[in-house]
Amino acid sequence: MSAIVVDNISKKFRIPHEKKNTVFQNIVGLIKRQFSYEEFWALKDVSFEVNKGEAFGIIGRNGSGKSTLLKILASVLYADSGSVAMNGKVASFLQLGVGFQPELTASENVYIYSSILGLSRKQVNKVYDEIFDFAELKKFENMKLKSYSSGMNVRLAFSTAIYAVPDTLLIDEVLAVGDEAFRKKCRDKMNQFKTEGKTIVFVSHALDAVKELCQRTMLLNEGRIVTMGDTEKVINDYRAMVQQRTAKTSSTRMT
Amino acid sequence: MWQHRELIWNLTVVDLKNRYQNTALGFFWSLLSPLLQALVLYFIFRHLWGREQDFAINLLVGIMCWQFFATGTSSALHTIVGKSNLVTRVYIPRQILVLSNVLATLINSLLTFIVLLLIIVVLLGHLPVTVLLFPLIHFIYFWFIFGAGLLLSSLFVYFRDLNQIWQVLTQVLFFCSPIFYPLSIIPAYLMPYYQLNPVTQFIIIYRAVMVTGNLPSLFSTAVVIGFAIAAYLVGSFTFSKLERRFAEEL
Repeated sequence: MSAIVVDNISKKFRIPHEKKNTVFQNIVGLIKRQFSYEEFWALKDVSFEVNKGEAFGIIGRNGSGKSTLLKILASVLYADSGSVAMNGKVASFLQLGVGFQPELTASENVYIYSSILGLSRKQVNKVYDEIFDFAELKKFENMKLKSYSSGMNVRLAFSTAIYAVPDTLLIDEVLAVGDEAFRKKCRDKMNQFKTEGKTIVFVSHALDAVKELCQRTMLLNEGRIVTMGDTEKVINDYRAMVQQRTAKTSSTRMT
Repeated sequence: MWQHRELIWNLTVVDLKNRYQNTALGFFWSLLSPLLQALVLYFIFRHLWGREQDFAINLLVGIMCWQFFATGTSSALHTIVGKSNLVTRVYIPRQILVLSNVLATLINSLLTFIVLLLIIVVLLGHLPVTVLLFPLIHFIYFWFIFGAGLLLSSLFVYFRDLNQIWQVLTQVLFFCSPIFYPLSIIPAYLMPYYQLNPVTQFIIIYRAVMVTGNLPSLFSTAVVIGFAIAAYLVGSFTFSKLERRFAEEL
C-alpha cells in the first residue's frame, strides 16, 4: 500500500529579468514589450512512491529541488505537469510555529496552531497537558508569546506539532532546533512515529539524521533523480558526487 | 468550508483580538470614527439638506453602511499578502484567510449596527417592523464584500500598488453614494448609471428597512442579490485561478 504516489512531476519557475510588481510597471512593460524572463526547471520528470509506514529521505545539494518537491507534496506549490496522490491525512512542517501570534498567550496559540494543523478543539483538550509537559513550559502557559525566548517558542511549536501528526508527515529541516537534550527528545519522537507506522518524508542536509531515520532515500540533483534506494548506498553516492565536484573545481583552479 | 469551521472561527477571533489590541475599549474606538465622521458631515450639510426628512438618521445609516464596505474590502485586500506565512509554509484552503477576515469585519459591523438601532430608537421613538429583514440584507451585503475581498486579495499578490488604487476608488465611490446628500439631487439623466453603484442600492434598502419602514423595492433587491452573486463568482473564480502561484509570488 502506498502512502504517496508521485507520477512524473515537473515544476518550472519563471524568473523575470525585471520583476514587475505593480500595475504601473505592468503597463510600462506592456508598452515597451518587456516581458522577458528566464525559465528553469526546479523539478524534471520526478516519479517515486513512498510505502505506508515508511520513512523516506530526500537529500541533495542546495538548489537541487528538495524543498520545491516537499512543497508540492504539501500542496503549497502546484506542479506544472504530472500528478501527486496522497493517501491519508497529511501534516507538513515546512516551518514550525506557522501562524503564531505574539500578542496572544501560549495557551491560545496552541489552540490556533493546532487548528491550522487540522486538529479540533476537542482533540487539543485531550492532549493539552501533554503538549505543555513535553515542551517543559507548564509554568508559562498563560504568558504572552512575545515574552517567550526563541528557544521556548520553538519548543512550544514542536510539541504542538507532534500531537497533530495524522498519517503522513512532511518535514523540512525542522529537527535542528533547541539544545542537545531537546533534539534528542525530537529524534526519539520521530523514531516512535516510525514504529507507530506513520509515513515520514524527511528532507535534510544532516546525513546522520537521515541515516538514522530513513529506510529509503532519494538523491536529487538539478531537479532530477540521481539515485534512489537503500539509504546507506544513496548517501555514499551523494558523498562521491560532492567529492567529484570539489575535485573538479579545484583542478580547474589549478590550471 | 464547513469542516474547517473551527479554524475559520479561530482565525476570526485572532483577527478581532489583533484589531482591538486586546483592549476592552477596542470596539468603542472603532465605533468612534464613523460617529465622528457622521457628526462632522451633519454640521457641514445640515444647512443644505437639514430639512430633508430624517436627515441625521439617514446620514448615520449611510455612514455605517459605507463603513462596512470600506473597511471590509480594504482590510480583506491585505489578507493573503499579510498572512503570507499561512500561504507558503502550510496548506489550508486560502479562501479561509479572506473569509475569516471579512467575518471579523462583519462582527464589528453587527456591533455598530446594534448601537445604530439604539440611536434610531432614541431619535425616532420607535423601530419599524421591517427591521426584521436586517439580518437577511446584512448577509447579502456580507457576501458581496466577501466576493470583492476574494478578488482584491488575490490581485494584490501580483499588483502591489492595488491598495493605493483601491483607496482612491473607494474615495470616489464614497462621493458617488447617497450618504450625506439625498438621492433627489441626482439629475434624472444620470440616475440609471448612478443606480449601478452597488453601495447605493444597499444604502437605499437599509434606509427603507431601518428608518422609513418600507419593504425594499423588487428592483433594489434584485440588484443587490445580483451584485452579491456576481461579486462572489468573479472573486472566487479569479482567486482560484491566481491561487496556484501565490506561494511563488509571495
